[in-house]
Amino acid sequence: MAVTLGYKKVFRDPMGYPQWHAKGLPVDSSPAGLSVASLAPRQSRPLHGRAMIWTLLGIFAGGIALNLTPCIYPLIPVTVSYFGGKSSQRRGKLLIHGTCYIGGLATTNSVLGVMAALGGGMLGGLLQHPIVLVLVAAVLIFFATSLFGLWEMRLPYSLSQAASKNHSGYFGSLFMGMTLGVVASACIGPFILGLLTSVATIGSVWIGFIIFFVLSLGLGLPLFFLALFSGQLNRLPRSGEWMLWVKKLLGWVLVGMAAYFVQPLLAETARIFLLAAVALAAALHLGWIDRSRAEFRGFEWLRTAAAIVGLIIAAGLIGSWLMRGPGVAWKPYSELLLAEAQRLKKPVILDFYADWCAPCRELDEITFHNPEIVKQAKKDFIMIKVDLTRKGNTVSEDLLRQYNVKGVPTVVFLDRRGKEQRQLRLVDFLPAEQFLVRMAEIRKIQ
Amino acid sequence: MNAIKKTVFALVAVTITAGYLWHTSRVITPRAATWNDVLAEARQGGYAIIDTDALWDHYQKNPDTLFLVDTRQEWEYRTGHIKGALNFPMEPTWLSRWRNKGALEKFLGADENRFIVFY
Repeated sequence: MAVTLGYKKVFRDPMGYPQWHAKGLPVDSSPAGLSVASLAPRQSRPLHGRAMIWTLLGIFAGGIALNLTPCIYPLIPVTVSYFGGKSSQRRGKLLIHGTCYIGGLATTNSVLGVMAALGGGMLGGLLQHPIVLVLVAAVLIFFATSLFGLWEMRLPYSLSQAASKNHSGYFGSLFMGMTLGVVASACIGPFILGLLTSVATIGSVWIGFIIFFVLSLGLGLPLFFLALFSGQLNRLPRSGEWMLWVKKLLGWVLVGMAAYFVQPLLAETARIFLLAAVALAAALHLGWIDRSRAEFRGFEWLRTAAAIVGLIIAAGLIGSWLMRGPGVAWKPYSELLLAEAQRLKKPVILDFYADWCAPCRELDEITFHNPEIVKQAKKDFIMIKVDLTRKGNTVSEDLLRQYNVKGVPTVVFLDRRGKEQRQLRLVDFLPAEQFLVRMAEIRKIQ
Repeated sequence: MNAIKKTVFALVAVTITAGYLWHTSRVITPRAATWNDVLAEARQGGYAIIDTDALWDHYQKNPDTLFLVDTRQEWEYRTGHIKGALNFPMEPTWLSRWRNKGALEKFLGADENRFIVFY
């Protein structure tokens, strides 16, 4: 490869390091320490970094999709004509109106989001309780059945009347936005309430706010553009049966969230099969069983795409489960095991773990299933797992104090003499290659 | 689009997913390469073969012009490597080669006449 880059004198030593080493020629091993140090304990919030961005993008897309539900879609022409009535005004003013409108929408929804988060914050500790998880899942399923069309959500008449009144001025636009959510809640209500329930479980006010803010942006954006360019209106597909399909799609999203919530209660295999089953059922229902039709051709493509995405998720889940090799053979903690490790002069890896912690599961399912890690762990290491899923175990409480463990996951590396090498400690997910570097480091310490 | 076409699409998608998973998670046990394999590979790649003794010779005489590249994984490099070698982890797959091309060019530097040895 270096040759194609233009280098003239390129050689390869096929016997490489082993022969060089065997002949006693000069070798070196890099000094202890980590080149890609990620030692600063990242605060493990439920959503951060890339996960947060993806979640928000998903919610934004969800917001856009909400426009296609039977309650909002027919409102589009109304809204647009409301703005169109102001078309005598310059575009700049129209832009301000549109912004007020989205702002109003965002206000209503963000207030809801913050309230849910505050409520959830108070529930705090309860939310890791199995019964609460089941309840949350039940609520999600309940709202999903509404989206599937089994029952209908209605607002009190007076409220929807008040909301549909016309108002003028910038405040009018703001108010129209604020009330759009109320008018249309018959459709988007289930989705929003489902989202609210899960925001409540995250329990962070800021995340609650941002999630609903982004949702409103997604919801308002198409209207905003249509309002600005009113001429595009007649190019939209007509309302019709296909909107019921969109509702069902959102219903399946809620069912998927419910399955995700009950995950910690299940054994690993059951967890994978549950998610795969939901994805498969969604794909079959949306792609084949549901017979909604639409006059525009894009719909069939959309439907096929949704079905295929579902199938790919199902196949991916089952496939990766099937093709995964054996994992690291962990042993439960005991003093005897540590003594044994020191006698054999083997380094020890202590994994503080809990079922409900996502990075722990990630470590377990990806890193600790890497064939090279499994091989080395078996040969040169004593691997110990401390399960912190349930509180109140005195042995593990003592261990937490002894090693000053602040949360899960925490992976502690003990050298051959049983002393912890603090610089190697791990408090987050780490890919296999980098974990191997740490294993190499701890092995080098005599 | 009719149901048959849709089902075919779906099957193709599932097959691709399964194939991708198989490709990424299969256990790669490299066949013990014979000396002839090594030579054929070198001819194809356009580089020359150097044995450990010749390398040692060069290592002693012209250490300044020698550029040693350890292509094994970082953890292997850390457990021990030829003194003076630098680590450029590269898996023996075309995908990894293609992905790392730009980085390798930077890593090797601008001097096209330096004596480069990979191992």
